[in-house]
Amino acid sequence: MNVIECKEITKSYGRVKALDNLCCTIEENKITGLIGRNGAGKTTLLKIIAGHLRQTSGEVKVFSLEPFNNLTVSANIIFLHDQVNLPTALTLKEILQTTGSFYPNWNHELANRLFNYFSFHPFQYYHGLSKGMKSTFNMILGLSARCPLTLFDEPTTGMDAAVRKDFYRALLKDYIEHPRTIILSSHYLDEIEDLLEEILVLKEGKQLLHMPVAELQDWAMTVQGKAPVVKEWTNDKQIIYSKKVGDDQMLTVVKNDFSAKERQLSREVGIELSPVTTSDLCVYLTSKSTGGIDDVFGQHDDDGGH
Amino acid sequence: MSLASMTMTEVIKKQYIYKLQAYIQVFFSLLFLQLIAVLFSLSGVATMGTSGGMVDMEIRYYSADLVVVFTMLWGFISAVLITTRAYRNDDFLFVTNRFTSNLSNMLFLLTASLIGAITAILSFYLLSIVVNLFGSDYFINNTPVLKDPVEVLLGMFSAFLYILLFCMLGYLAGTLVQVHKSFVVLLPAAFLGSLFLDLADGRAGVFAEVFKFYHSEHSILLFTVKVMVTAGVLFLVSAGLSNRLEVRS
Repeated sequence: MNVIECKEITKSYGRVKALDNLCCTIEENKITGLIGRNGAGKTTLLKIIAGHLRQTSGEVKVFSLEPFNNLTVSANIIFLHDQVNLPTALTLKEILQTTGSFYPNWNHELANRLFNYFSFHPFQYYHGLSKGMKSTFNMILGLSARCPLTLFDEPTTGMDAAVRKDFYRALLKDYIEHPRTIILSSHYLDEIEDLLEEILVLKEGKQLLHMPVAELQDWAMTVQGKAPVVKEWTNDKQIIYSKKVGDDQMLTVVKNDFSAKERQLSREVGIELSPVTTSDLCVYLTSKSTGGIDDVFGQHDDDGGH
Repeated sequence: MSLASMTMTEVIKKQYIYKLQAYIQVFFSLLFLQLIAVLFSLSGVATMGTSGGMVDMEIRYYSADLVVVFTMLWGFISAVLITTRAYRNDDFLFVTNRFTSNLSNMLFLLTASLIGAITAILSFYLLSIVVNLFGSDYFINNTPVLKDPVEVLLGMFSAFLYILLFCMLGYLAGTLVQVHKSFVVLLPAAFLGSLFLDLADGRAGVFAEVFKFYHSEHSILLFTVKVMVTAGVLFLVSAGLSNRLEVRS
């Protein structure tokens, strides 16, 4: 069953289109990673799903219902992001109780155990927490609510490495115990890769690709070797990224449709084929221009040389 | 995982309980404002003096009117406050839609008005005690609560209606500002502008008419109907306007 169905949704802020005819579906009980560069439309998409924003055009269905102004959708979604505004008059303990009173699946015992594990003080106030502590507290809310659809928008902002690890582990454990649909947007793809089942990559408000992580892992291949040979080899392939290495070497990332024979042949002509890590691949795929930051500086150096 | 469904009344009840707890600051400011108002009232609302021969007499009238007026302003400001982004967005972390959010705000404002009205009228007794102890040689109390409880209750009730009216005005003003930022400037400009124009023309303008419409109503029943209808209309307009508002942070 599809929990989320988006059909050609567009969301414009003035003249800028944050989402541009986006179509996507998210299946039930899967952990999906929402990946994209800054400004790719990740947060906007999550906000539309949560019913905070209304799409300019298109159709969104969450649990087969329109999410905007829908009480049933709201009761089954928890959406945590780094700009969450929690009531300033309530202590952390009171916030836990209040959140618990709203969400029917809320597990207070889990909330308390996490609360103690991350050594929060019951009488602290949310606005007095550091950035990482705020994120940690949001995570406690998100996990303990056990909503059928849990949305985390950059949940690890400000967390240190140890807490991030704990978070991923807690998420996975609780997910195994209570399977539910979780969407996670994050910049640290290499960290969450093992956690994800599906990956949804956005670029400039459009869906770039949506596939199981396992498939993405060997979706592309790096071809490295002497420039002319590499060029010849990648001539008929879909080139994702290409850069010069040193004077005569070249590195090109292409879509992986090499046959076993080609692989064998590559060694003979002195070309190295190697898999691309998913996080590198996502960086290449979502880059806005050809070439990289090196070219910005490279241009300058060339001019100086002449 | 099966879907949880919640009825609207259930959600509104939960939101109401949550708001009483989370908006507690509103009541702190009420306490503070009413104390200031009592302080201002200590000099009396009217003074009459006469002297002849050996006798020098000064009569001062005390009333809690100023406290009620302050509480009305408090109602207006509190209502504006709870429409602001920080307060409105709080709801959206929990279970809500725009309609239940508005309704629970309405319930909260009703409660706030009631508490404001009761404390405002009771503040007269605080005033009496202070005046009696420190400010007066001879004190005549003409509104003992036990002698005429109905009078006091009626006073509370009409104070409640006035405060509620201002709450709803504030709620609409706050909502308008949320709909479009330009109302921050437009609303005060329109209000002050029309006051000045009326003043320049030397006539009783629209505000005087509005004031007369409510204030010179002698029948408590008619007054109640007038205020309730107005408050209802103001609320419906606010709820209608904010029903399409997005949550921006």
